[in-house]
Amino acid sequence: MIALLLALLLQTAPPQTNIGVPGRIMQLVLPGTELEPLPLDVNSPIVLRVLATWPHGTELRYDLEYYGLEAGSFDLAKYLKHKDGTPVEGLPPIPVEVSSLLPEGQVQPNALEPTALPRLGGYQKTLIGLGIAWVLGLAAILLVGRRRSHVERDRVRPRTLAEELRPLVQAALEGRLARSDRARLELRLVEYWRRKLALQDKPAQEMIMQLRAHPEAGALLRSLEEWLHRPDPPQDVDLARLLAPYEKVDMAELESAARA
Amino acid sequence: MSQSALPVAKQTFADTEKFIRDVRERVATVVVGQDVVVERLLIALFSGGHLLLQGVPGLAKTLLVSVLSKSVDLDFARIQFTIDLLPSDILGSEVLDQRTNEFRVRKGPIFTNLLLADEINRAAPKVQGALLEAMQERKVTIGNETFRLPAPFLVIATQNPVEQAGTFELPEAQLDRFMLVHRLEYPSIEDEREILSRNAALGIQRQDRGAIVQTEFDVLEKRPVGSSEELVRAMEAVHHVHVSETFVEHVVDLVDRSRHHPAVELGCSPRAGISLIKASRARALMHGRHYAIPEDLFALAEDVMLHRMRLKYEAIAEGVTGRAVLQELLRSLGGSGAGA
Repeated sequence: MIALLLALLLQTAPPQTNIGVPGRIMQLVLPGTELEPLPLDVNSPIVLRVLATWPHGTELRYDLEYYGLEAGSFDLAKYLKHKDGTPVEGLPPIPVEVSSLLPEGQVQPNALEPTALPRLGGYQKTLIGLGIAWVLGLAAILLVGRRRSHVERDRVRPRTLAEELRPLVQAALEGRLARSDRARLELRLVEYWRRKLALQDKPAQEMIMQLRAHPEAGALLRSLEEWLHRPDPPQDVDLARLLAPYEKVDMAELESAARA
Repeated sequence: MSQSALPVAKQTFADTEKFIRDVRERVATVVVGQDVVVERLLIALFSGGHLLLQGVPGLAKTLLVSVLSKSVDLDFARIQFTIDLLPSDILGSEVLDQRTNEFRVRKGPIFTNLLLADEINRAAPKVQGALLEAMQERKVTIGNETFRLPAPFLVIATQNPVEQAGTFELPEAQLDRFMLVHRLEYPSIEDEREILSRNAALGIQRQDRGAIVQTEFDVLEKRPVGSSEELVRAMEAVHHVHVSETFVEHVVDLVDRSRHHPAVELGCSPRAGISLIKASRARALMHGRHYAIPEDLFALAEDVMLHRMRLKYEAIAEGVTGRAVLQELLRSLGGSGAGA
């Protein structure tokens, strides 16, 4: 009964595919013992495959896959046989439609129609254009980046010792040295002597002790310490004499001393 | 900051100079060299900070603390830290008096003036925590009672930089409680020669019916060269040492730079700045000055700051050391850039 209803349904709307495109018929209940496709024949217009089989009461249920090699209407039941060799009888028709996309009689696919490329000037010119753009872009990145790094470097370049010392000494001589500048002045002078006496490699503690013991640097630094740190600084501090050696700091001389 | 009580303090300064000289001379009769360590001990004592000594065994750390306590007439206790030590072993505990059936407080060895915490990193963190809390608060709670620790109260802890197996490294937050961490070096060749000749001169001490070989501890002079009153005066004198605004600027600059160095993950806390100023005052006094100068800062920076700085992993992997970073910071002081 079910098979009959199914057959009626298939009759009303046979599945349709194009040549070479697989189609499937799933959960199809067919009477009799287990079925399998007929052996392939080179002239067969249909290639049929049984994907799966399940028992279904006294009958069997199948998933079938097929594709047509020719256009036309075919009955897949004609391409099945019983596995046990019994003759195929009482099978309902399993109609399928296979249609062709090409006109009737045409075997070769349609030739490609040449169309104009959407890009300007074709592939070769496009490549040339892209190459030029790449070179220009690279040049722009390199040049702009370098100029910016120059600017950045100039902006953050630490001031040299001489550049730091001169305004501090000048401000001290003119009596307008702020508290933080006093601290900077003292430590920059320590740095000045450190470089002048080539004590860069000494640990800080050893360096400052050597500086304080040095006949020239020690006297000047101790006087400065008294001026800056004593609670009762000496009133007769001659700042002009104290800071005279630093008024015209020669960086070249300092650096050559440091290198020596 | 800039207290200049010079007229009041003049006599105190003179007395203190003599006191310091006597103590140093007494220490030198037993301990050879180690002038810097003695200076650091006195700095800690005068400025009320605590000191951690890092050094391999056999550098006379215990002897040094022992002789210092005897020189200044201070109570001295030593605790050998071990893994099974309990907080109550240090602080004390309540014990049941069976005669009265009441709890009685038994104070621990922390109730002393000078406490030597030997190998502090061998104790469990809760013991370290208990000690460090007492160090900061200067009081101890046993049961329901709170007791003030004696004054002065100074902890000198030691830590062995090798043999780290089975130890609990003090975290930065706890290291910060130590005003100074001094790294002891081996003695110079001349000092080592002197140590050996002095040790060879030690004799045999008869005891009961036998005898023992004398050690440096046996020849310690028991009579103190300074009283606790003199110590208090020295502490007052330290408080009168002048700290100029310029010096404060140096300290602020240095501490701030430690927080912005590219190799440093954790810079110095404000407590480092406070400790630098306290320690610099004490050092100035010990060098016969009543005002601090950059030399004090440069001399103490390593002991005050190094244990408060944590380097970045990348810097450590590249072989950068805290000492090198600190030297760089000191060199850059006053400059416009970190490496100026």
